[in-house]
Amino acid sequence: MIRLEHVSKRYGNTVAVDDVSLEIETGLVCVLIGPSGCGKTTTLRMINRLMEPTSGRILVGGRDISTTRPEELRRSIGYAIQNVGLFPHMTVAANISVVPGLLHWDKKRIARRVEELLALVGLDPYAHAAKYPSQLSGGEAQRVGVARALAADPPILLMDEPFGAVDPMTRERLQTQFASIQQALKKTVILVTHDLDEAIRLADRIAIMESGRLVQYDTPEVMLARPANKFVHDFVGADHALKRLSRIKIGGYVKPAATVRVNASAQEIASALGGHRWGWVVDEAGRPVGWIDARDLPSAASLSEAIVRADTDEIAVARTATLREALSRMLGNGMKSIPVIDGQGRFLGEITLRDIETATAEAEP
Amino acid sequence: MLMFARLAGHDSIAFGGSVIGLLSLLFGWLELKPNRLAAGTGLSMWQSAGWLATAIVIVLWLICLALSLSGGKALRAAVIGMAANLLLFANFAFAGLTASGLLREEAAFSRVSLGAGIWISVFAAYLLIFSARQKLKGSPLWRGVVSWSGLLAVALLLGLGWLNDVSVVQEFMGNQERFSQELVQHVLLFGGSVAAGSVLGVLLGIWAARSGIAEKPVFFAANVSQTLPSLAFFGLLIAPLSALSSAFPALREMGIRGIGATPAVLALTIYSLLPIVRNTYLGLRQVDPAVIDAGLGMGMSRGQVFRRIELPLSAPLVLEGIRTAMVQAVGNTAVAALIGAGGLGYFIFAGLGQAAFDLIMLGAIPIIVMALVADAAMRFAVKAASPKGTAVPGQ
Repeated sequence: MIRLEHVSKRYGNTVAVDDVSLEIETGLVCVLIGPSGCGKTTTLRMINRLMEPTSGRILVGGRDISTTRPEELRRSIGYAIQNVGLFPHMTVAANISVVPGLLHWDKKRIARRVEELLALVGLDPYAHAAKYPSQLSGGEAQRVGVARALAADPPILLMDEPFGAVDPMTRERLQTQFASIQQALKKTVILVTHDLDEAIRLADRIAIMESGRLVQYDTPEVMLARPANKFVHDFVGADHALKRLSRIKIGGYVKPAATVRVNASAQEIASALGGHRWGWVVDEAGRPVGWIDARDLPSAASLSEAIVRADTDEIAVARTATLREALSRMLGNGMKSIPVIDGQGRFLGEITLRDIETATAEAEP
Repeated sequence: MLMFARLAGHDSIAFGGSVIGLLSLLFGWLELKPNRLAAGTGLSMWQSAGWLATAIVIVLWLICLALSLSGGKALRAAVIGMAANLLLFANFAFAGLTASGLLREEAAFSRVSLGAGIWISVFAAYLLIFSARQKLKGSPLWRGVVSWSGLLAVALLLGLGWLNDVSVVQEFMGNQERFSQELVQHVLLFGGSVAAGSVLGVLLGIWAARSGIAEKPVFFAANVSQTLPSLAFFGLLIAPLSALSSAFPALREMGIRGIGATPAVLALTIYSLLPIVRNTYLGLRQVDPAVIDAGLGMGMSRGQVFRRIELPLSAPLVLEGIRTAMVQAVGNTAVAALIGAGGLGYFIFAGLGQAAFDLIMLGAIPIIVMALVADAAMRFAVKAASPKGTAVPGQ
C-alpha cells in the first residue's frame, strides 16, 4: 500500500503539488490524470524520491520513504517513462538486466529473467534480446521499457505516460496487453497520463488533479457518473455515458442464439432455426461466417445462395471486448445484434443492442 | 564550356587532380644546384628522368583523367586511388634514380633538390586519393590501402637508401642526430600538451555541462585563447614566466623559464582546450535526458549514471575533440621553436634563415606525416569508442 499524507511540493512561490493525500491499495492501478502542469508527474516522481516533497510524507508498505536510501528505494520500484529512455549503447537484454545487476543477481538468473520478461511483453527473446534500441520500432521499445521496469519483479510500478510516444493503434494494443499482464501480476501501479480513454481502460482508481490539487479520487465508474465538480465534469466530457460503456466487459451479457452449420441440409436448418426468423451461420471450426434469413430459404436456388456471408473479424466481437466496442461494431455494420467469439474465433452467442441499453441502466453506480 | 562543366561534374575533384598532375610536368621537376645554398637550374622530367619515365607518368595521369570523367563507381575509385599511389611512388623512385645519375656527373658539392613539379604532383595525387577515399566508404580495406600504400612505399624507398642522393635526405644525413633529437622533442611537446589539455579540457567540459554558472566563462576563456595567434601567445607568456622564475628560484631549477619548453607547453595546452572542452560539453549535453532520468529512476547512483551511461555515450565526441586538438597541436608546435622550445620547427626556421629550402622541407615533411598519422589514429579511436547501436560522430 502507498500512502501520501498532505504532500506538497513548492518551487519558490509556485506550488506544483498542493496538500495531496492519497491512498493506493496493493494490487490496484491508480491513474493520475489532469491537464499538463497539474502536478501529476511531480506527484509520481516524489514516490521514488526523484523529487523530494517540501512538506508531508509518503509511506510505502507503512514505512516512510524518506528513511530509505533513494537508490535502494528505486531498485524496489519499477519505473517506465514516456520517452522510454532505453540505454542506446546497450542491447535489449542488457537494458532489462540493469536493475537485477544492481541487485547482484547471478548471471544465469538474469538471463532466465530476460527471456521470461520478453515473452511476457510479447517479444520473441531470440529475435530481440541482442538488438540495440535503435533497431526497435516505437511499440517494441515501449514494451522493452515495460519489461525493464518489471525486471526485478518490484511490487510497485511507476509509469509516466508509458504509452505516450506511439501511434494510437499501437497504443491501444499496448494498453490491452498491459491490462492482461497486470491481471496476472497484480502489481500496485501508479500511472500518469493525460489521455482519459487510457485512464478509463486501465484504472481501478482515477485521481484527477488540477493545478496541484487532488480534485477527485474514485473508481472510473463513479467519476464518470458523478463528477465531483465542474472541472471534472468538463474534463470527462460530454460523452461520459459512452466512456462508461468502455468499462463494462461483454462477457456477462452474451446470450445463446440459433446457429446453422454452413453445410447443413434444409431439414437441419429448419430444426436449428426452430421458431426463429433467422440464425448465425458457422463453419466447420465453429467460426461465425454469416447469417441466414428463414424467408430467403424457399426462394433461394441452393442453401449457399441463401447465406449472407460476412468476414468473422468484421461482424464478431471477442468476449473480452467492452460494450463500447460492441456498440461501435453494431453501429458500423448497421446490425442490431452481433456474434460473440472466444479466443479461437468460435461462436459463443450473441449480444444485442437492447442488452447494451439494459447494461447502461444497470451500471449506474 | 557547358560541355566541360557537364563532364567535370562526374568527379570534379579527381578531374581537377588529374589536370593539375599533367600540368605539373611543365614545372621544374628536379633542381640541380652547384652547392647546398646556391640557386639551381630547374630540370623538367623528360630532361632529367628521360622519356620513358615521363611517358609512364603521363599515361598514369591520363588513365586517372579518363576514369574521372566516367562516373563514380567504387571499382573506378579504387583504380584511380591505386594509380595515384603509384604516381606518388613513381615520382619519388624516378627522382631518386635520376638524382644519383646526375650527381655522378657533377662536382662534389652539387645538390639535387626536388622541384616544384614533384610537390605539385604530390598535391595532385592526394587530390585523387582524397576523392577515391570518399567513394570507398563501403570497404575499409580498400580505403586503407588507397590512403596509405603510396606513403608507405615512399617510406620504404627512404629506408632502402633509394633517395639518398636527394638533397632533403642529404640534409637529414647531415643533421641525423639533431633530427632525432628534435623529432622526439616535437612529439613530447605536442603529446604532453594534448595530454594535459585533454585532462583539463574534459574536466572543464564536465563542469560547463553540469553547472549553469560555469558554462559561459569557460567557453569565453576557451574561445578567446583560440583567437590569439600562436606566436603572440608564446610571446605573451614570456614576461610573466620570467618574472615568476626570477622571483622563485626553485621554479627555475624545475626548468620553468620565460623561454623554452614551459611557455610552449602552456600555450599549446591552452590551445588544445577549446575543441576538447566544446566536445566534452556537447557529448554530455547530447545524452537524452530521458535516458539519465531512467537510469536514476531505476536506482543507479549519480556516479553509476556517469560511468555507465554518460561516459560511454559521450566518449566518441570527446575523442573527436582530442583528434582536432592533436592535429592542430602538431602544426602549432612548429612555432614553438621560435621561443627556444625546440621541435621540428627548428629546421623550418633555420632553413628560412639560411634560405635553405631543403632544410625547411626536412622540418615540414615529418610534421605533415605526423599530422596525417595522428589524425588517422584518432579517427580509429573514435570509431572504436563508438558503442554499437549508436552513430559514429563525423562519419
